Amino acid sequence: MRLNPVTPELQQRHRRTGWLLALVGAVLLIGSPYLPWAWSDDALDDMTYLFGPSPTQFLGLALGAVLLVCLLAPRLLARVLAGRRARWFAFADGAKAAALGALVFVAVVVVGIAVELGGLVNVRYGGWIALVAALLAVAGTMLLPRDRPATLGGVRSPGWLVISTIAVVMLVTLLLVAYALDEDDPVIFVALLAFVAGVVAVLLKLGVGPWFSSQTARHRGVLVASAFLVAFAFPFTQDGSEANMSIATQVLIFAATALGLNIVVGLAGLLDLGYIAFLGAGAFVAAILSGSAFSAVGWNPPFIVTVLISGVVASLLGLIIGSPTLRVSGDYLAIVTLAFGEIFRLVMINLDGSDGPDLTNGSNGIPGVPDLDLLGFDFGEPHVLLGVEIGRFANYYFLLLLVIALIMVVFANLNRSRIGRGWVAIREDEKAAEAMGVNVFGLKLFAFAGGAFLAGVAGAVRAHHDISVTPDQYIFLESAFLLAAVVLGGMGTIVGVLLGAVLLRLMPEKLRFVDEYRLLIFGALLVLMMRFRPEGLVASRRRQLEFHEDDEELADKVDPTVTRAEGAR
Amino acid sequence: MRKNRIVIAGATLLATAMALTACGTRAEEGGGGTTGGGEETKTAVIGVVAPLSGPLAPLGLGIRNSVQLAVDQANESGAIPGWTLEVQPEDDQGQPDPGRNAATSLSSDADVVGVVGPLNSSVGQAIQPVFDSASIVQVSPANTGTALTQGADPANPERPYETYFRTCTTDAIQGPFAARYLYETAKVTKVATVHDKKAYGQGLVEAFSAEFESLGGEIVAAETINPDDTNFSAVISAVGDADPEALYYGGEYPQSGPLSQQMKAAGLDIPLMGGDGMYDPTYIELAGEESEGDLATSVGAPAEELESAQAFLDAYEAAGFAEPYAAYGPYSYDAAQAVIEALKVSLPQAETAEDARQATVEAMAGVSFEGATGPVAFDEFGDNTTRVLTAYKVEGGEWVADQTDEFED
Amino acid sequence: MDVTLFLQQLVNGLTLGSLFALIAVGYTVVYGIIQLINFAHGEIFMVGAFGALSTWIVIGRAQITAWWMLPLMILGAMGVAVLTALVMERLAYRPLRNAPRLAPLITAIGISVFLQEVVRLFYGLIPGFPDAKAPVPFPAVQGVSGGALDLGGVVLQRAAIFTLVALVVSWTFLYFFVNRTRIGRAMQATSQDPDTARLMGIDVDRIIMVAFALGAALAALAGIAHGLQYTNIDFRMGFLAGLKAFTAAVLGGIGNINGAVVGGLLLGLVEVMATAYIPGTFGGSAWKDVWAFALLILVLVFRPQGLLGAKVVDRA
Repeated sequence: MRLNPVTPELQQRHRRTGWLLALVGAVLLIGSPYLPWAWSDDALDDMTYLFGPSPTQFLGLALGAVLLVCLLAPRLLARVLAGRRARWFAFADGAKAAALGALVFVAVVVVGIAVELGGLVNVRYGGWIALVAALLAVAGTMLLPRDRPATLGGVRSPGWLVISTIAVVMLVTLLLVAYALDEDDPVIFVALLAFVAGVVAVLLKLGVGPWFSSQTARHRGVLVASAFLVAFAFPFTQDGSEANMSIATQVLIFAATALGLNIVVGLAGLLDLGYIAFLGAGAFVAAILSGSAFSAVGWNPPFIVTVLISGVVASLLGLIIGSPTLRVSGDYLAIVTLAFGEIFRLVMINLDGSDGPDLTNGSNGIPGVPDLDLLGFDFGEPHVLLGVEIGRFANYYFLLLLVIALIMVVFANLNRSRIGRGWVAIREDEKAAEAMGVNVFGLKLFAFAGGAFLAGVAGAVRAHHDISVTPDQYIFLESAFLLAAVVLGGMGTIVGVLLGAVLLRLMPEKLRFVDEYRLLIFGALLVLMMRFRPEGLVASRRRQLEFHEDDEELADKVDPTVTRAEGAR
Repeated sequence: MRKNRIVIAGATLLATAMALTACGTRAEEGGGGTTGGGEETKTAVIGVVAPLSGPLAPLGLGIRNSVQLAVDQANESGAIPGWTLEVQPEDDQGQPDPGRNAATSLSSDADVVGVVGPLNSSVGQAIQPVFDSASIVQVSPANTGTALTQGADPANPERPYETYFRTCTTDAIQGPFAARYLYETAKVTKVATVHDKKAYGQGLVEAFSAEFESLGGEIVAAETINPDDTNFSAVISAVGDADPEALYYGGEYPQSGPLSQQMKAAGLDIPLMGGDGMYDPTYIELAGEESEGDLATSVGAPAEELESAQAFLDAYEAAGFAEPYAAYGPYSYDAAQAVIEALKVSLPQAETAEDARQATVEAMAGVSFEGATGPVAFDEFGDNTTRVLTAYKVEGGEWVADQTDEFED
Repeated sequence: MDVTLFLQQLVNGLTLGSLFALIAVGYTVVYGIIQLINFAHGEIFMVGAFGALSTWIVIGRAQITAWWMLPLMILGAMGVAVLTALVMERLAYRPLRNAPRLAPLITAIGISVFLQEVVRLFYGLIPGFPDAKAPVPFPAVQGVSGGALDLGGVVLQRAAIFTLVALVVSWTFLYFFVNRTRIGRAMQATSQDPDTARLMGIDVDRIIMVAFALGAALAALAGIAHGLQYTNIDFRMGFLAGLKAFTAAVLGGIGNINGAVVGGLLLGLVEVMATAYIPGTFGGSAWKDVWAFALLILVLVFRPQGLLGAKVVDRA
């Protein structure tokens, strides 16, 4: 279903008008940042200057420039992009995306000004011009005929080009993240998001996105390594400030746990609604063995031992809960794991000495968990590294990066192994898999216990990072959030789940004004995602097909032989 | 060729725009920070960490407003010459994780010299170390857990963080006060206890039981409930079977109101007594008409008997805040006052707000004033030295002060 | 053993169990027809309770407590609950009917959170309505609230009688509806074989809507019973109740209406008896939820078809 009243015939007839309209829009968009957008400098970053664009206004200018390039390039570069190259880029589609992005961006800014200053009257002529320009651009680009899909994705490029592109992309990402995190104004943050989404959409439509993903597939190692390098470099952009690092570590803990859940749900297809309990089990074990004054156990082994014990205890719990319930069907498993999550929380509350053995200090939890001290490196103290102060949270950040790397290695190896293929087979059709000799029960149990182990490890780090461990940190809602991160980002993919985790944890911190509506949005988001894009933001092709069985075109892309076989049937 | 000309014009425009941006300079902002008098004042910030959203938001907003009131009053009266105070509220959602983020963002702000909050003891545990490592004084208006100031071992108290203070009393005082009231004033000898297994409720009941038994009373039943529960029939039957003369409940009004109501509907007509978490008009609404005679203790003397308390209520009213001051408003007002008193000592000697942090912590020991909840001063653990408590009784559908006393060990 | 106390606990257990049973029927009816665990069903129960409260505020002007308010409140509660359930089915579940099973379950979690938040955030914004961010007092209605009956030492609350009667009436109604009416028999047919049912001219979509509406109506009744018994309602009350009711449905054999009722009563008894009679540290109300959920796991291991379920549960 397309909500586009503009027919191809209309586009053919009015393409010149459309092009001109869009061009005017683009020019105005580029020009408007030089005009004042707001009456008061209290809104966003001071937008009251004539001929002095603020950083946010500059983003609008950039979107306009992108649009202009998309409009002009087919003519300017006609000679370069001749012959087979003519279909490399889909400029019209890029222009459509750019115009739409610009409209969203300007709308966010204008509404933001109105909200922060109390009324639309506070928007000055520059803002209105920008809005009109964006509307013109959208209307104009709608009249442009759609391109045939860009072929750039199929072009092989020399290694140096790909690698340097990766480097540039990573550098831009780093700077962008550092910039965005420093932004306190929620409207600017949203506007920045709109900008980034717009640019990414343009790149995808234009054909650059497909090119990037197909080319980097040949240089996977470089991509992963540079991504880690960027993640590693992030604390150095913070200049010793701990405020963002505190959020970043929480995002990483959440992401690590979500990646573990991804193995269980995404690879093996076992819906676990009590996964947070395994994180909690790891955290409680680590806290009890940490030597905290509130711990009932005096034994305080080195952290490396604690981590292993945490993981093992969590996976034992996984085995205990999994061995009876993995025999029943998927829906039941979901509810049983949910019940198990509740049991875990209640038991942790009850093991306080009055309703059970004294182990967890009841609902007070175990506070005073000391900071980690690995090989003489005290995680509680700031260290100076390369001239930049690396504070407490940054220390944990590095450790968590290691944990995530570990989980990713496990994930990637499992995914490609015999075990991973077994999981996929089970997920697709359990009975068929069993008939083909796949050890269904064993593999399921292994997924369950393995996922629990990883969560336990993450929990052990979390206990030290959090200083206190209490049962009410491990409620059902947290499991739901983890599941949402996996589903939102894209089940079974690493990038998607990381993206989902970052979005779900970072957004509430940065968008404090929606705090009250956080859960409302969360609930609505889950429903809408399942309705319109059940495969997640970053979908693995296979998964995408599962949710869109009727889409022949897509099936062809994934595996041409499949459709033919289906058609024959 | 017209087409090409447009193209060239567009490209030129783009290039010009880029160039303009590169050269364009934005005028520097005029030196801020000057006030009407022309004399430059420096800014120091008092942070607030409290649940500003979520189920506990009414309490958290009351805390924020009361701190704002204290700071506004200090600024108006020019309490600290040369300095302007500001309030920076941060939302902890009543949970440790957002609480830690809030605390970290406050401690990274060089202007922050003191913090009021949090509401929940679990958040308190999580953020104590953050402020301690930044030497920022923290005064909680509502944390009642004993371990926060006295460490893990009650027999051998040791203060874990020297930056942490509180204006409310601990469970260790409120519980015994209730025990004495029931045993000595109400002449009750057989009591059943129920708590919600949360830090506050459990601590209260433990302290209550120890004192009540040492006075010679008998605890005939000790039960717990799950705070998510709404059905207390099993517990009520068990309690009723032991035939107590009163029920002592550790927890807050969302559970104790229905508990009282269900208890009386089930034919167990004995008074229910609780701590300050229950001293709220909503309790009576939830418990219904049968709640006549139920009891609650609260810290400080009743507002109408205390001049400073009445002043707070009037000022709060006059300030026209959108939300009521709620249960912890007066404590929060006093907590902010305490920080301001300490700042009066530390700020004038400091160059920047950050320099004053350690001195503020040290100055807290000398703070002593008449607050909205009575006299405020801190002992060697950071606990409020005031031990005046009041027992309230439900009479005619509202809480009426029944007995006010100084608690002695 | 004290006989009076035991009888008292028996009454408590049956009352609690009736509440579970009323909600559990909703899970079972829907599951029986489209094999969907409608995880948001607990929220329908909550919405029903708020519907009753709203009726009392609007029609009773928040003060009338005469007995005739009760039928009006029941109608109001059922209206709101049924409407919510139908909208939910139409907008969220129906488009996913052929999707992998993961999708509707995640949708259900989303709906559950969404409905809770809608009530929490927006209920109090309606003029004259109380703020629902904290527990809201539920009105007392003459006849079913107030003074308890004392039957020789065993205390029976009036609201408990209402709950028990509501269950008996609904159960009888369901029996006749399912076995004696055209729609009821069409439901049975659809549950046994939806494809054949469709071929036989049964409008499956309509049958599914009827199933949702039936479950919602009973959950609304449970919502009122809850409000009358505990005199306050709360936007979160659906989560735990829903989970327990699901346990009850599984206990009795999901898909089987009699099973849901028996399972509900049994679960109520188990909870109350465990609180009262398990000695030592693992007894008392602190552990009752643990025992209830442990029971769910045990049933799934040893008798996945439930106590009354003859149909073999799909294990795939």
